[in-house]
Amino acid sequence: MAYSWENARLTSEVTGLGVLNMLEATRLYAGTDMSCVRFYQASSSEMFGKVQEVPQRETTLLWPRSPYGVAKVFGHYMTINYRESYGMHASSGILFNHESPRRGPEFVTRKISQAVARIKLGRQDEVALGNLDAKRDWGFAGDYVEAMWRMLQQDEADDYVVASGETHSIREFLDVAFRHIGIEDWSQHVVQDPRFFRPAEVDALIGDPRKAHERLGWKPSVSFAQLVETMVDADLADQRTMVGG
Amino acid sequence: MPTALITGITGQDGGYLAERLLDEDWHVHGLVHASDGHVDELRRRTSSVELHEGDLADAAAMSELVNEVAPDEIYNLGGISSVAFSWEYPLLTAEVSGLGAGAVLEAAWQLKQRGGREVRVLQASSAEMFGLPAQSPQSEDTPISPVSPYGAAKAFAHHFVAVYRARGLHAVSCILYNHESPRRPPQFVTRKITRAAALIASGRQDSLELGSLDVRRDWGWAPDYVEAMVRAIRYPHPHDFIIATGESHSVADFVEVAFSHAGLRPWRNYVSLDDRLIRPVDAAELVGDSRKARTMLGWRPVVNFDDMVRRMVDSDLRAASS
Repeated sequence: MAYSWENARLTSEVTGLGVLNMLEATRLYAGTDMSCVRFYQASSSEMFGKVQEVPQRETTLLWPRSPYGVAKVFGHYMTINYRESYGMHASSGILFNHESPRRGPEFVTRKISQAVARIKLGRQDEVALGNLDAKRDWGFAGDYVEAMWRMLQQDEADDYVVASGETHSIREFLDVAFRHIGIEDWSQHVVQDPRFFRPAEVDALIGDPRKAHERLGWKPSVSFAQLVETMVDADLADQRTMVGG
Repeated sequence: MPTALITGITGQDGGYLAERLLDEDWHVHGLVHASDGHVDELRRRTSSVELHEGDLADAAAMSELVNEVAPDEIYNLGGISSVAFSWEYPLLTAEVSGLGAGAVLEAAWQLKQRGGREVRVLQASSAEMFGLPAQSPQSEDTPISPVSPYGAAKAFAHHFVAVYRARGLHAVSCILYNHESPRRPPQFVTRKITRAAALIASGRQDSLELGSLDVRRDWGWAPDYVEAMVRAIRYPHPHDFIIATGESHSVADFVEVAFSHAGLRPWRNYVSLDDRLIRPVDAAELVGDSRKARTMLGWRPVVNFDDMVRRMVDSDLRAASS
């Protein structure tokens, strides 16, 4: 996301036009038999940007506030256009934040879980973060992949919000992560760094996943606390295998 | 002397805008594509514009051009102008009309950052962004939900304007409803109709084939819309504005006014329907609520529907007889 501000052009090309490129290639390949390919587009809750409705649903007005969000909106519309105009089985999953131990360390969740593991092992003292009050609807990536797969097993393609339906702050993420290594008061380990504040912060992002519940029979299997603990455990195991760190 | 840069300067709006700005002694630069066949026509009308050959889709070249020209106002009117074309070339449409706008905004932002002075950008957005709107008329708050590659590329550009505005750039988006003039190219349905009326009236054509007579649009007079753009970019704060007449007319209404003005009555004797001309998905009733522009900019359309159609027919009749 932060990357998208510095590389608006590249973000637009890859994240926006890339979708159209795939749709067009799929359409040309499918020819007269559109049913021979099913297409999934990974849309994002960042499309809601300046949110127009809480919680956000499939019908919520999109108001992107970052180049990343704008590019994702474009991909989302084009997916719908190809479904409606060409009859393509093209679904768009509006995925809210979903994390796992495989998240890159540039994402705040993994940055925290990695830092907490290193603090536990005495390899690091503190971690610099942006706005601790930023709230997100976080789920477990494995659950979200299951939702994507289910979308493509439906007779009809459609758009689905995939979310936990709960929102938690960075502060709560820190609470659970530090508590897991036995630290109740983490204030001395966290510094706030204005460099990590976003130019335009999205607000009140929380998804309403009812349509996915009802039509796909999908429900998240991992809770917020379980997710954070799983990530910290994985980083502890990871750090322990590193000699010296 | 204040300076403006107009992309799409050889288009209908670009020409009227260039004339409008030259009239008030602005220095006008324009971007033209190498394959543009309308340069001579523009030159005949406005000899003093400075033209630059380039491609909106080429971000590096756009950045260079904006730096070189150092404009006070940039009007991004360039892009793919047809919905039908956008279905045939969706990627090209996205690159030129979507990413091209991104390139212009980024170039303006960089110039502002470096020069420390204001650079204003106006994006020519389109009512096609609303797709098949749930509400009519549409306002600045109507959900954007495009149903064509053209609409999606325009929506991309419109959203990018909001992103750069939030960042501090004076970026304005005018959501323009259909606006016509004798300078519309003949592949647009309006000009196709007025040209056919003139050619049939002068005995050079027998009939006119159209895709659908029921499609309704909010049609205005292009020079009125150019006036709105100038007022919008000069408003002290950047905003989105709907620019529309607020009235809708069917293609049949258009044909009726045009053909009766050319003395062809009843018009149905001269018109046949061709299914192949119907678009894959056609937008429902697009009518704009331009109260915000009327209140804040003091703008209103001067030429009404009938006058607009008649002016177009008159121009085509003159051309047909010369």
